[in-house]
Amino acid sequence: MLSYNFKYELKLLLRSRWIQLLSIILLLLFGFAALNGTKKVEKRNMDIVAAKDEVKEDDGMMLKLLDSVERGLEVSASPWTIPTSPMAVGNYHPRVAAMEPQPMAFIATGQADLFTHYVKPKVSGDDFALNFTEMTSPVQLLFGSFDLAFVIIYLLPLLIIAFSYNVLSSEKESGSLRLLAAQPIGIQNWVLQKLGLRFFWLSVLVAVVLIVVFLALGINPFAQSVTFFGLLGLTLAYMLFWFALAFLVNLWVGSSAKNAVALLGLWVVFVLLVPSVLNQLGNTLYPMPSRTLMINEMRGLKAEVTKKADEILDNYLRDHPEYAINDTTQTRGFYHRYMASQKLIKEELAPVVNAYEEQLQKQQNWIGRFKWISPAIIVQESLNHMAGTSTKDYESYRKQVAAFAHTWREHFMPFLYNNREFSQKDYPDLPSFNYEKGTQLQLGTIPLLFLIAVGLFGLGFLISKSVKGQGILNQG
Amino acid sequence: MIIIDHLTKRYGAQTALDQLNLKVDKGEIYCLLGANGAGKTTTINLLLGFIEPTSGSAFINQLNVRENPKNTKRYLAYIPENLMLYPSLTAVENLDYFSGIAGKTFSISDLKGFLEEAGLQSQAFNKRISTFSKGMRQKVGIAIALAKDAKVLLLDEPTSGLDPKASNEFGLLLQKLRAKGVATLMATHDLFRAKEVATHIGIMKDGQLKQQFKADDISLPELETAYLKTMDYKELKV
Repeated sequence: MLSYNFKYELKLLLRSRWIQLLSIILLLLFGFAALNGTKKVEKRNMDIVAAKDEVKEDDGMMLKLLDSVERGLEVSASPWTIPTSPMAVGNYHPRVAAMEPQPMAFIATGQADLFTHYVKPKVSGDDFALNFTEMTSPVQLLFGSFDLAFVIIYLLPLLIIAFSYNVLSSEKESGSLRLLAAQPIGIQNWVLQKLGLRFFWLSVLVAVVLIVVFLALGINPFAQSVTFFGLLGLTLAYMLFWFALAFLVNLWVGSSAKNAVALLGLWVVFVLLVPSVLNQLGNTLYPMPSRTLMINEMRGLKAEVTKKADEILDNYLRDHPEYAINDTTQTRGFYHRYMASQKLIKEELAPVVNAYEEQLQKQQNWIGRFKWISPAIIVQESLNHMAGTSTKDYESYRKQVAAFAHTWREHFMPFLYNNREFSQKDYPDLPSFNYEKGTQLQLGTIPLLFLIAVGLFGLGFLISKSVKGQGILNQG
Repeated sequence: MIIIDHLTKRYGAQTALDQLNLKVDKGEIYCLLGANGAGKTTTINLLLGFIEPTSGSAFINQLNVRENPKNTKRYLAYIPENLMLYPSLTAVENLDYFSGIAGKTFSISDLKGFLEEAGLQSQAFNKRISTFSKGMRQKVGIAIALAKDAKVLLLDEPTSGLDPKASNEFGLLLQKLRAKGVATLMATHDLFRAKEVATHIGIMKDGQLKQQFKADDISLPELETAYLKTMDYKELKV
């Protein structure tokens, strides 16, 4: 039966122009989504390059100024910006801590339109409370980005529904099912084969379209073979889930109209309702601490420590005797007191910052525990991981920036407390930031999605056995 | 070839078929006559295994339909009132598909041979079914039965809606199959065609087989009288 179904299913699909129509729709959707994603990544890259160029230019100016000062020439710059002061270098010549897009960043915008991709931590900045949120259009946030992830998660299931909702019911409605059912075949097997073949042809189309789109955008999919085949595997597993649902509905529900409504209802549940309810519940159960509260506490603390600046500085130098010993002048100014108090503010605010991180972790754990209810969440999460735009990636970036900001500040502390001037020969030793991807490619979800789909197919067979007594021809 | 033994089908309190006993041997054509709702189509659906009986048994080629639903279908062919094939496939392709899924593989010339034997004009072999008349589609149905080498043919109102010429051609095809030893059970309203093609005729009412005749033992007017009497028909006075 399979070879005949294989031969004639393709003929029927070609003659009804389904294959041609699907090819065009897929090409347009995947092409536009990939192009859109690529443009966003290009913009992100350009922003980072511009920021780095700006730093390079600033550094050039700084080195020229240092050279003039070191040669005893008079310079026309405000005294507090002259880079012989380590605090001037730390504040006015910061490094760019950029999160460079991953090679597959264009497939999923993920959290990329919520967070910034580069910051310039300064020695006097509140790096522990760095704000990474970027201004974004609320309209865009409402509808999401039209990227490959959107097409795969939201639109591909709709195409599958249109492609599979009436596999059995159309035969019933046209009358050909009675002739089919009079043949020595199992109708469940026949439906399974028909859907299997449609899955096969759609998979071929998706694979070809993805390769064409990648090549058209100048991306060699085989250069990133693991990620590309991961993307393809994930897409196929997700498609199989929807075909399994279509199998269940075809056997269970009945008429074409009922099947279509049932499948669209399932689409709403799995793609829109479950992710949104889980997100809302996560926010309700584990609300994030107020950012305003943190800022208020920080201001209060700053006001308090300013009053006790001398005492704090004494305590700080007691903790760091190396700074007190190495400098014979022992001159102490504003920055000495400020930097000493920053450490104290950081320690005092640690519980608020930790509470934020703990709640974030709890929210992520909550989603992680229940994400299996909706394959849409699993696929979105996996695509974000592949693209390097997941919450975990941005959390990792935030931590890396905080660590770098600490390194940057600590680099200037010996200069400050030893009252040592910054010179040209110190320039090469300035710390620089290198982003390391926070998450690894997770392909474990693919077999799990396949298992869920196989489970649904099994359920379909069980259901069809239970309705066998009523007669499959009489349903609907 | 077809044995029906005390076959009963009930839907809740309603009895669709009541203790039906019937036998159709090799080379016989049994026509079931009756009004709508008499139980003719229910009988055919039970023989096809589309529905399960409440009690009793049906046998095709000595196999119990309920116990061997798939195997019994290897020996039977079925032509419903409206034979719906795949409209975008040609006659040859439809025949190839339905034979193929039934486990029979043929060359194109063999398939054309079956269509020719079923009386389809050769110009129509490679035309799409969407262009076919009902009579032509019925011929493709007969070709499917021929290709399947069916021992049993189940027909549900096959001549309804056919013009007299097409209906006559269909009757001749049934005689051809009869000569090959096929046992045919045909549900119909058409008394004339039943008398023309049948070897045996049964009249059903309210799920029961009320009367049976050998076709040779009864004339058409007698059959009509027997049918109307069974249906409690009261002649209108003009």
